[in-house]
Amino acid sequence: MSGQPKVSIRGLYKIFGPDDRAMVPHVQGGMDKATLLDRHGHVLGLQDINVDMQPGEITVIMGLSGSGKSTLIRHLNRLIEPSAGEILVDGTDVMALGDRDLRRLRQKQMSMVFQKFALLPHKTVLENAALPLSVQGADAQTQDREARKWLARVGLDGFEDRYPAQLSGGMQQRVGIARALTANTDIMLMDEAFSALDPLIRTDMQNLLLELQKELQKTIIFITHDLDEALKLADHLVILKDGAVVQQGEPQGILLAPCDPYIEDFVSDINRARVLRVRSVMGPVTDDTFDGDVEAASNLEDLIALSDGDTNHCYRVLEDGAVVGQLDMKDLVKALVPRISGGS
Amino acid sequence: MAQYEAVFDTLGLRDWCDAGTGEAPVSMAQLLAQAKGGGTEEAGSGLPFPSLDVLHEACPRIGQTRDLTEGLEQGFLSIRSELKFVLDPITQPLSWMLDGTLFVFESAPWWVMIPALLLVSWLVSRSRSVTGFVAFVLLFFAFIDHYEVAMQTLAIVFVCTGISVLLGVPIGIGMSKSDTAQRSIVPLLDLLQTLPTFVYLIPLIFLFSVTESKLYGIAIILYAIVPVIRLTDLGIRLVDKDVIEAADAFGLTSRQKLARVELPLALPNIMAGVNQTIMMSLAMVVIASLVSAPGLGVLVLRGIRSLDLGVGIVAGLGIVLLAVVLDRVSKAALARVDTQRNTK
Repeated sequence: MSGQPKVSIRGLYKIFGPDDRAMVPHVQGGMDKATLLDRHGHVLGLQDINVDMQPGEITVIMGLSGSGKSTLIRHLNRLIEPSAGEILVDGTDVMALGDRDLRRLRQKQMSMVFQKFALLPHKTVLENAALPLSVQGADAQTQDREARKWLARVGLDGFEDRYPAQLSGGMQQRVGIARALTANTDIMLMDEAFSALDPLIRTDMQNLLLELQKELQKTIIFITHDLDEALKLADHLVILKDGAVVQQGEPQGILLAPCDPYIEDFVSDINRARVLRVRSVMGPVTDDTFDGDVEAASNLEDLIALSDGDTNHCYRVLEDGAVVGQLDMKDLVKALVPRISGGS
Repeated sequence: MAQYEAVFDTLGLRDWCDAGTGEAPVSMAQLLAQAKGGGTEEAGSGLPFPSLDVLHEACPRIGQTRDLTEGLEQGFLSIRSELKFVLDPITQPLSWMLDGTLFVFESAPWWVMIPALLLVSWLVSRSRSVTGFVAFVLLFFAFIDHYEVAMQTLAIVFVCTGISVLLGVPIGIGMSKSDTAQRSIVPLLDLLQTLPTFVYLIPLIFLFSVTESKLYGIAIILYAIVPVIRLTDLGIRLVDKDVIEAADAFGLTSRQKLARVELPLALPNIMAGVNQTIMMSLAMVVIASLVSAPGLGVLVLRGIRSLDLGVGIVAGLGIVLLAVVLDRVSKAALARVDTQRNTK
């Protein structure tokens, strides 16, 4: 968890309007969105964002539409210029890069997957997947080999010579992911990558992403408006509202201790038994006898099934074979109700 | 009718007015009356506000409307030699191209020309029925002894369309990249499109000798270049913003973006522009024959001049037939591009 973050956003502000930089002091002085629009005709996009993204983790930025999440992710590769603040990638300030270095950053360090796929309609699937390498000027053989490798990895072998319009949405997004992987960058930006897909395919794609991530250990920044998706993917969850970070941290922690009524609202709708893991609700070992062993990583739904709904059971929690705690079924039941568990 | 005399008297301008009483040309009303062939009528239209001619009557120092047109003419004539000095060498290649192409189209034997044209239409359209139609039309022209003039018209259309595309596409690209360029060029295009076609010819006749083929070449190009510029600009501006963003995100240079993304995606629109340009240069061919352009237009003109009804109508229908051929071939090419990327 600790160590130098891969990507670090410091005091980022974005204000939309002709004279955005001059408006920053107003916002820093506490002016709110409505007043800024009313008095100066500028729209507040993002205010005082500070997020660290650790290498090898999936950082999920979640918020409703209009919360500024898509604006935020576009600052990372400077598709949008910030009004104030800095963005450090491996310690280098992205804001200070010239045109050439910025292009190199986009080619070699960050790739991106888009909500609407954004494939080139006049190129075949293979050519689309090879795009990042052909931009970098790699030879035809390397392009072909890499593109085929990643297309096969996302389950698209045999489709290389089709055109994007001939594929379904889910398959097109697989091409989008293969394209990002072909770039062979450490950082992958995913802008609502699965939001345009139907639910079953979305689950498939989430699993694919988790599977790839286990193998590749990239730093992924994932944008979504779907809390279930966020909780499933996130190592680090950032919740945005009206352009500001409301809460960030380990997703289970946010779920158990929402710090804001907005997040409480959000969190109240989800299936907690499926999302919460034994690790998050277990306590220290005090008893001697247990009704059985459970893995720390299994979710509460598994445990309810195991105990057959009996709340008198108490389980020993194991992680990698070692005892790490115990879980009373009564605590489990309490954890399922947001308001009671909020205090613990 | 000297209703404004009092005005000049009260303003104390009488002396100034009477100081110079040069002999003026004719008034606008007299000119119009001359054109109608009637006698000279009393000047003044009876409108409640002053016109130049009426003011002239009250105060001879004020010029007549005829002076305005005269001044324009004198102004043009005074820069004519300089203009000619610059434009003559620049436009000379156009004469060579037109004369050369006309020479080739006229002197190549039919057994070279017809197969060559059929090959071109096959390569462009890849459609058996369209190529068959072209063959039928060419043989029909031969059958009614219009083969040679049709070839002349075709040669002119080819050269003028080619140059229009060569100049129009880059101008369109420039317009799409800069709003300022677009704002300043669009009125010019509007002007070119609405200016009565004969009006182009007037200054051109002053500049170049009527026997030079570039005279009609320029007139046709000025008229026909408009759609290809407009549609190139439009096509590039309409390219999917998501795809452009993806191109930026993968670090394409602006040249790569233009060649790999914008132009290919704008191609259907550009082709529609080329189609329109072909049609418009064909429409201009008749007017161009007023200034010695060879081809079917000459026959139409002859039909008008000597009331040869049949000659005029056959040649006119010949132009229509040629238009249909060119339209079908270019539309088939457009459709081929479209289906290639949208096949399900």
